[in-house]
Formats: sequence, C-alpha cells, structure tokens
Amino acid sequence: MANPIVTLRAYRDGLHLIIKPRLSIAEVEEAIQQEIARMNRPLVGTSVQIVLKSPVLEEEEISLLRSKLQEDYDLTVRGIDVVDDESVSPPIAAAPTTHAISQTTDVRAPRNSELSRIIPHTIRSGQTEEFPQGSLIIYGDVNSGSEVKAGGDIVVLGTLRGNAYAGMNGRLSAVIIAMDFAPLQLQIGNYTSRSPASQESRGYPEIARIGAEDVIIVEKFVKF
Amino acid sequence: MGKVIVVTSGKGGVGKTTSTANLGTALALLGKSVVVVDADVGLRNLDIVMGLESRIVYTSMDVIEKQCELAKALVRDRRVDGLMLLAASQKNNKDDIQPEQMKAICDKLRTTHDFVLVDSPAGIERGFSNASAGADEAIVVTTPDVSAIRDADRIIGLLQNAQIEPINLVLNRFSAQLVGNGSMMDQADVLDILNIDLIGVVPEDSGVITSTNRGIPLVYEDASPGAQAYMRIARRLTGQRIPIPDLEDKGLFSNIVKWFTRNR
Repeated sequence: MANPIVTLRAYRDGLHLIIKPRLSIAEVEEAIQQEIARMNRPLVGTSVQIVLKSPVLEEEEISLLRSKLQEDYDLTVRGIDVVDDESVSPPIAAAPTTHAISQTTDVRAPRNSELSRIIPHTIRSGQTEEFPQGSLIIYGDVNSGSEVKAGGDIVVLGTLRGNAYAGMNGRLSAVIIAMDFAPLQLQIGNYTSRSPASQESRGYPEIARIGAEDVIIVEKFVKF
Repeated sequence: MGKVIVVTSGKGGVGKTTSTANLGTALALLGKSVVVVDADVGLRNLDIVMGLESRIVYTSMDVIEKQCELAKALVRDRRVDGLMLLAASQKNNKDDIQPEQMKAICDKLRTTHDFVLVDSPAGIERGFSNASAGADEAIVVTTPDVSAIRDADRIIGLLQNAQIEPINLVLNRFSAQLVGNGSMMDQADVLDILNIDLIGVVPEDSGVITSTNRGIPLVYEDASPGAQAYMRIARRLTGQRIPIPDLEDKGLFSNIVKWFTRNR
C-alpha cells in the first residue's frame, strides 16, 4: 500500500510483515520503522509472521531482524514464510465472502492449543463472563448490558446484543460468531468497533474479524 | 402453606405497585386469602393505590421492632373477603430492615394465607434484596420498551442467582396500535430477549390513572380491558390454564405495514 518495501497486514492467522526482495537490510529496517510508526495503535505483545519474497535475505540478516523486532517493537516473530511474488494471497477484506480456512495449513494451530468453556445459559444484563485461557461458547443469548470476554474466539449460539471482547490476550486472529448479530460493541485484540444505532438482525449467522484495513469487519458466516 | 411471590421490575414506573394491588385484589375476588406486602420502605405507595392509606396504624417496621404483633399490623380491605395489606414504614429507609427480617415476616404470613404478594421497590439494591428474601416465586413486570426490558433482564439474572423459580413475566402497558404501526416491540420480541414464561399481557388502559387516584383497584371495573387482563393473570396464578389472548391488531392494513417493516 503506502509503503512499497515493507507491508504490515492483518490476515486471519494474525499480522504478516511482508518484505519485498532485493533490498539491503538497512532499507528494510528503515521501512519497518516507518510502517510501524504509521500504525495508529500500539502493537506491543502481538506476534507477526514474516513473509519474504525470493531472493531471500541472508540467514544472519533475518536473525538480526527478528531480534530487532523483539527489542525495538516488542513484536514476537511467529514464523518465517518464503513465497513467490505472485502467491501472496489477498488480505481478508479483499477476499470473497466465504473464508474457508484450509485444514492443511497451520493457521488453526493457536486455536487448537486453547481451552474452551461452555456457558450453558443466556447471559443477562449486568452479568459478565470472562475466560482469558481460551474460547467461550454460549448456549443462549448475550443480552444488552452484559459482557463476554475471551482470550480466544467467542461463539454465541443465540443472539449477541451485549459487548463481546475476543482475543483479549492480543491474538488478532480471534473471531466473534453469533447466530444473530446485534452487538453494542465489539473488540478483537486492541481493535474496537461500535455497531450503528438500531442494528436490525439480518436473520443469518455472522462473523466478526479483523480485516486488512485495521478495522473489524462483520460478514455472513458460512463455515470455518 | 401459601406461596410468597415477589413483584419486581428493576426499572421504576412500569407498574409493579399497580400490578400488586390488582393481582392481590383479583386473587381475593377468586376466593383466596391474600396479603399484599409493601417492601418499598420510605417510599410507600401500595396503600394509596389500594385506598387504605387512612387506615394504617402499624407497619412492617413496627413488627420488626416488636412494637406490635404481625396479625395486628395487617390492614383488612373491607371491599373483599380475605385481602390484607402490610404497609411499609414511611419514616425509615431500606437499610433499616435486614433481608432475614423480611424473610421471617413472609414465612409467618404464608402459614395463614394462600398468597403473599411482595411489592418490590425499583432498583437492585437493598430494597430489592429485602423484597425477594422470602420469595418462592417472582413476577417480573415490564413495559415493551428497551430500557425497561434491559432492567428486567438484569433483575431476572439476580432472581435466578437467588434460585427463585419460576419467574413469570407480566407485559404491561401493551398497545396493539403502536405494535401495529411498528413503533412498539411486540410480544415475541420481548420474550425472545427475556426468555422466561409469560403469565399475562396487560393492555395500555387509561383507567389505571383514575383507579390509582381514587384508590380503587382496576379489577373492580369488570368491563375494563386492564381489569380483565389482571383477572386472567390471577386465575393463572391459581393454577388455571387460560390462554393468553392475542392483543395485537389483526387488521389487514396493519399486517401489511408490519410485513413491510419486518422485511426491510
């Protein structure tokens, strides 16, 4: 986008730091600094996937980059991918409305290692359910004036009318799914969104996740 | 052994006191022995709505302070057999009564009466915990507007935590006309949010204002739609199975309007 050397993008498994090829490490470092300065939200504590296009940076340059990201920006490098120039998939917002997460990739790994808690009843006004260790599944509604918070995903098998906060430990790939979506406020990681006043139910399940433009997008939920 | 039922709502002004007075009178008209208890210490109203304000000598505070026997503090409603009022003290406040003391009064009253209806104050603080302390069941009164429904939802959560079961809903001040033109939530919307059993729908009835000011509960006016609704709720409380009539306007025009507004 604005920065041709380094691009920081949100994908469904978290942030990707995409680095263009044929550049010196000094150019890359400067570009990273610019790109992170451009963000209006702190990224402290989150993790990134480095995506390199061939020809790749030297091995020691990569380890230098990894320690620099950790020290200067408190960003953990989750892994390093080397891709061909053409195969970089479009970010979420540009993707078609059905996002079937492929089972063969390791995208689901962080989700699989988390715990889940089932809440077998409706959460009423004034009540709060919090589960930082993993995902929350609610067999009922989340009513206006209540709050659900989870380290992982939030799945409401009913109507979401209250506030939902997924990825409270900073996992930006967390999603919020509800059979009927009419929340007051949504939060994923440190991204928040407020629904327009008088949101009517659309009559189909919806999913909220972080899109490419640093905003929470809500769309029809088809399948995982 | 009688039942203790707390009448509550969370929000003020939705019709707790009116409902308590009318349901108490209706149950007595059905031949039950009933005590209505005003738990709104410091802001008592039930005596006015029932037209008994001039006859109160002792209050629940006097019973707790052992100034008088419980039986002596009960005011008999002379218009109908078997209806008594236990008034709240107007000069104390809610913190002067402990939940255990209210529970003791309710437990004593249930040995001598079929129904003990406790009129809860608005709010979720001490007044509410006093009113619900001795209750077996609850009636939650709400009007079909979002703020009353959110407060009702809060109260239902608190009642469930206190293991008060069943919790029945009275939908008050329901206007078929406003639902018909799409500006009021309908019965199904309210039940969808609150998810408890509906025991009755009371239509908007201007007769309530006159009856409150005159101190004669609406249920004595046989022809009034509000009175009929309260009578039906009272019958349901005694265990009779009476269907809830559909108060919504079934005119062709309003149905068309509704169909369009729903599918927008």
